[in-house]
Amino acid sequence: MLERFALGAQVALHPQALLMTLLGVAWGILGGALPGISGSIAMALLLPFTFGMDPAVALMMLAGVYVGAMYGGSITAILVSTPGTPGSAITVVDGYALHQKGESGKALGVSLVTGTVGGIAGVAILVAFAVPLSRVALAFGPPEYFAFGVFGLALISSFVGRDLVKGAISAILGLMLATVGTDPFTGTPRFTFGSVDLVGGVAAAAGMIGLFAVSEIFYQIAEGVDWERIRGRYTTKLPSLVELWRLRVATFIGIVFGTIEGLLPGGGGAIASFIAYNEAKRWSKHPEEFGRGSLEGVAAPETANNVVTATALIPLLTFGIPGSNSAAILLAGMMLHGLQPGPALFDRTPHVVYGLFVGLLVANLFMLVLGLLALRPSIALVNVRRPFLLSAILGLVLVGAYSINNSMVEVWIVLLTGVVGYLMRRYGYNVLAMVLGFVLGFMVEANLRRSLLISLGDPWVFFTRPISALLLALAVLTFAWPIVRRVREDRRGVPKLAPELTHRAAR
Amino acid sequence: MRRADLVAGMLLLAVAAVYFHQSLFIARGFADRLGPAFVPRLLAGALAVLALALLVRAVGGRSEATPPPEARTGLLVVVLALLVGYALLMPKVGFLWATPVLLAAVLLALGVREPLPIALTAVGVTAALYGVFGRLLGVLLPGTPGRL
Repeated sequence: MLERFALGAQVALHPQALLMTLLGVAWGILGGALPGISGSIAMALLLPFTFGMDPAVALMMLAGVYVGAMYGGSITAILVSTPGTPGSAITVVDGYALHQKGESGKALGVSLVTGTVGGIAGVAILVAFAVPLSRVALAFGPPEYFAFGVFGLALISSFVGRDLVKGAISAILGLMLATVGTDPFTGTPRFTFGSVDLVGGVAAAAGMIGLFAVSEIFYQIAEGVDWERIRGRYTTKLPSLVELWRLRVATFIGIVFGTIEGLLPGGGGAIASFIAYNEAKRWSKHPEEFGRGSLEGVAAPETANNVVTATALIPLLTFGIPGSNSAAILLAGMMLHGLQPGPALFDRTPHVVYGLFVGLLVANLFMLVLGLLALRPSIALVNVRRPFLLSAILGLVLVGAYSINNSMVEVWIVLLTGVVGYLMRRYGYNVLAMVLGFVLGFMVEANLRRSLLISLGDPWVFFTRPISALLLALAVLTFAWPIVRRVREDRRGVPKLAPELTHRAAR
Repeated sequence: MRRADLVAGMLLLAVAAVYFHQSLFIARGFADRLGPAFVPRLLAGALAVLALALLVRAVGGRSEATPPPEARTGLLVVVLALLVGYALLMPKVGFLWATPVLLAAVLLALGVREPLPIALTAVGVTAALYGVFGRLLGVLLPGTPGRL
């Protein structure tokens, strides 16, 4: 164990790795500050840059983006009351109130420091869970992996977003996209329409860029998304130790809910930050200050969303099931470099896993420093006029897509998936479910067929093995639960849970 | 949302049908009993059932009532046309010529009218992209000499 951390430190503290992590965090802060550009979109835009890198360094850089974006999101939340990322949506309430009272610097400082605390706590929790869980995963055979994949898809398509039918359609479309290319078992080409370029399948990076980033650009163009300019100059004021000590309860609550959300597939920090905010209010000695500029109201959600940057990696690293947009992109990054997440990853490529653990710690420390320096550049970027920003991002997307395989095929895929993603957002489908179906399709199908090969075609193999049976039962339950809930709500006339929350989480 | 659901339901049914039809051309594999066409056909069936559910719901008036917000669809179509034109022409005329033209056209479409900022953005962004991808990362962009 210790040796592995030493190995990880060796990888993560290499000058090149440090530089890439630093760049990743800086990119994340800038992207996170831009409304609409969430951590996952910033990561997707960066994917093409990571091709030539060592896999461990590439993953550290991508994880650094995720970490940085969580702080970046709070900048616009506090200064113009527009969350830069879904994870900072609730920070708006007290962050903007503090800004109006002239305490913007203090709010930014609290967000930065509690975010760092959350991020580091998250890494500790990640290590504590992931290493033992990877041992559990060793007991998994093909039927268990199949069942787990189905369970993950059921969870995402039923809990994220509001519409069960549309969620399921989204997941199926993703699975269909994954069937393009060589069959996982026999090597037969499928759905290539005679094109040699599609034999290798739809490049994961192209699908991600299209579904996450391009669809968001199209959304901003068509829906005319805009936000206020940031006026005036601000400097981040770090809280004193006494002030931090007063925020201990809120921070702890943030850590608890960040951990829970990381373990369950969800909205990449959005739900954890909402719940953490409400619980922090309940446990606070001054609940009356919430909504009027409470520092605890900033600390709880901003801790929670940074905890998730680490804990969302637990299901990804141990079982290969990503629980959020950003984890899905990390999975795409792993697949680009030929890495298969799961228990074998810990044994075969410990330098990647432990390098990522140490790299995440480094990224959080970088965030603390960069957060102070990057405030002014972030504000400048947020103040760039909409059309200029959109056209520059479009240029980046097109070149990035081309560079995946030095070919125009990926450019077409990015445009096509971008249109599909836009329509899905607009009409209430579930983009995350589609992405998950897309990245998990290969694994789910391969393990379905492998299981039936081992069982000589007997489908009972999925139900006679306890873990697989349990996971499949859970999959059915997660799918049935929203229906039951809706029927009960209709009967009682309970108002629907804030649709804005689920909508944001789905983005 | 109801009309949107009707259209989507029919579109998705068509997707399921085309996808199923294409699965008929998959060569038979010998490695396992299910074969390479089994999962695609399962997916086509599932999509058809879900699309029907969407249609039934829309016809029965149980779709979500709120229509999606107003959108500048015309503007999006213009930008899309520009992007498609770029994807068709860029390999022929070269990256360094096509990209600034696209960026300037997108800016114009989005309502920017000042010539100087448009020119600076078009050239500046193209130069930056070429510098990072073409030079630093060694991507062979069409019509450029690539890394020396």
